[in-house]
Amino acid sequence: MSIPASGTAPVAVPVNRNSLKKKKFRLLPYLLLIPSLTVMTLFIFYPFINCLRLSFYATDSMGRAGTYVGLRIWKKVLTSVEFKTSLKTTLKYCTSIGIGTFAVALALSYLSIKMLKGSRIYQTMFALPMALATAPMASIFSYVFSKYGILNAILGTNKLWLSGTTLFPVIVFIVMWANCGPSFIYLLVGFRNVPHELIECAELDGVTPLKKFLKIYLPIASPQVFFVIFLNILTAFKSFTMIKILVGTDESPLATLLVKLYNYAFVRERYETGCIYSLVLCLLVFLVSRVQFYFEKKAVFYQ
Amino acid sequence: MRKHYLTNKQRDTLSVVIKCFIGLLFISPLFVGLVFSFVPDAELFKLPTFEVIRKTSSFDNYRTLIQSLPVFGYLRTSLIDCVLVITVQVVFSSLAAYSFAFFDFKGKNFLFTLVLIGMMVPAQVITITNFLTVRRLGLLNTYLGLAVINFAGGKSLFLFRQYYKTLPREMHEAAIVDGCGDMKYLFQFVMPLAVPSIASVAIMVFIEEYNAYLWPILVARKPNMYTIQVGINQLIRPDLLPTYGKLLAFAVISLVIPVLAFVIGEDYLISGMTEGSVKG
Repeated sequence: MSIPASGTAPVAVPVNRNSLKKKKFRLLPYLLLIPSLTVMTLFIFYPFINCLRLSFYATDSMGRAGTYVGLRIWKKVLTSVEFKTSLKTTLKYCTSIGIGTFAVALALSYLSIKMLKGSRIYQTMFALPMALATAPMASIFSYVFSKYGILNAILGTNKLWLSGTTLFPVIVFIVMWANCGPSFIYLLVGFRNVPHELIECAELDGVTPLKKFLKIYLPIASPQVFFVIFLNILTAFKSFTMIKILVGTDESPLATLLVKLYNYAFVRERYETGCIYSLVLCLLVFLVSRVQFYFEKKAVFYQ
Repeated sequence: MRKHYLTNKQRDTLSVVIKCFIGLLFISPLFVGLVFSFVPDAELFKLPTFEVIRKTSSFDNYRTLIQSLPVFGYLRTSLIDCVLVITVQVVFSSLAAYSFAFFDFKGKNFLFTLVLIGMMVPAQVITITNFLTVRRLGLLNTYLGLAVINFAGGKSLFLFRQYYKTLPREMHEAAIVDGCGDMKYLFQFVMPLAVPSIASVAIMVFIEEYNAYLWPILVARKPNMYTIQVGINQLIRPDLLPTYGKLLAFAVISLVIPVLAFVIGEDYLISGMTEGSVKG
């Protein structure tokens, strides 16, 4: 016997009316999205697709697609020694900077955990490089490391730091310095999440500082730690200004994929080759992001 | 028992002093740039002693720099570009965020996913084709060309939406029922409340746009449209022997604004960076 049917009817009416009201088509929400989505379509989605398309054509100096060549240029680029060297350089450069920046930021943020009167002053100083424009900082460093620069003067040497074997470590050092601001801030947020009582208990129990760091701070800040490691690798993929100003892009000893991309497209006007380098760079960024996503899900310790 | 010769307070003060010293060491490249920008070129080819620095320091580098290059013109271009990007991006992102936060509509999830995908495409990857588009549209050497690629910002849209979602929806419905239009509600009620997030976005966008290098060197081809970052290239052309005094003076001039902006807006910048970016 189904009696309740009539009993529920009056309740169902307002619900029905409500959902009808919601279903009424409204134009406004779409109109509000038009400006942002138009810009994104024109300057993110279209160029991406265009980049893919151009990589299958021979382009003219205006960047127009000429004859269709299919995968011929892809094959030529991917099998070239130049590309392999560039890929190797990029990976070496990004790993070095990723690890180095992380280490510097870790040290600085660990120093700043305790909130004291005046701690704002050094926090600001530690984070400051992230606000500094790369081009003028590169200029200052080009003086510091030049033949007549301050470093040679202090060391009493006469070395060209920005060439030969010292070039790579010097550039990595500079970029590490310039990039570590955001990492410092994220790690500091992570470390300050650690409950105060926990640290006090550990200190009462006589836990050594090293153990405190490895067993308490790092695990609790693990979301930030993983985020920062990947952030730095991804930032390094995009670093260009320092290399352009301090090393140069033509026949550069530090020819990362981005430098190659710039050279092919904007110096030699080989746009299709530039596009291929772009897409490889994009693929690398995507892969690293996937790994990051995987780690975030698997390895991160949440409280 | 370990003996403490210092009181807790003294130890804290000491640690602050030491850390400030480390901080100063950390940003010492800035001081190198600043101090040596006052020293004449002739003295820069060897390490100037303090005596030399004290005796020879002058504004000569700055004077010759300003006479040879329109530095303040470059600065003006940079600032106009920044203001343009910040204004348009804040308005565009506010509108879109309002739509995502206050309405349910068909395709909302799809469109939001589209925004997220757009956020993930690195700007460098699409630089070539964006350049081709901008050139075809005849926007080289224009403010619009410099700024247009950043008129939409996934980060700002996301940040605004995050904030709008904390506002009670009932209040929105009540306002609409009372005859307040959506636009009026957004501009007179929501946006004034969102001033802290707008400040966060403004400082983030400012630093990014002011420091931009790759895009401006492509778009600003004529000297009258050089931004400050492009202008500095004039002094580091490989065919010229670098005149470090002038170069350092240029660097100092171009760094004044971002340093001030950072010191003033640090809190907003940090809250903008940490909100919604790390799950912690």
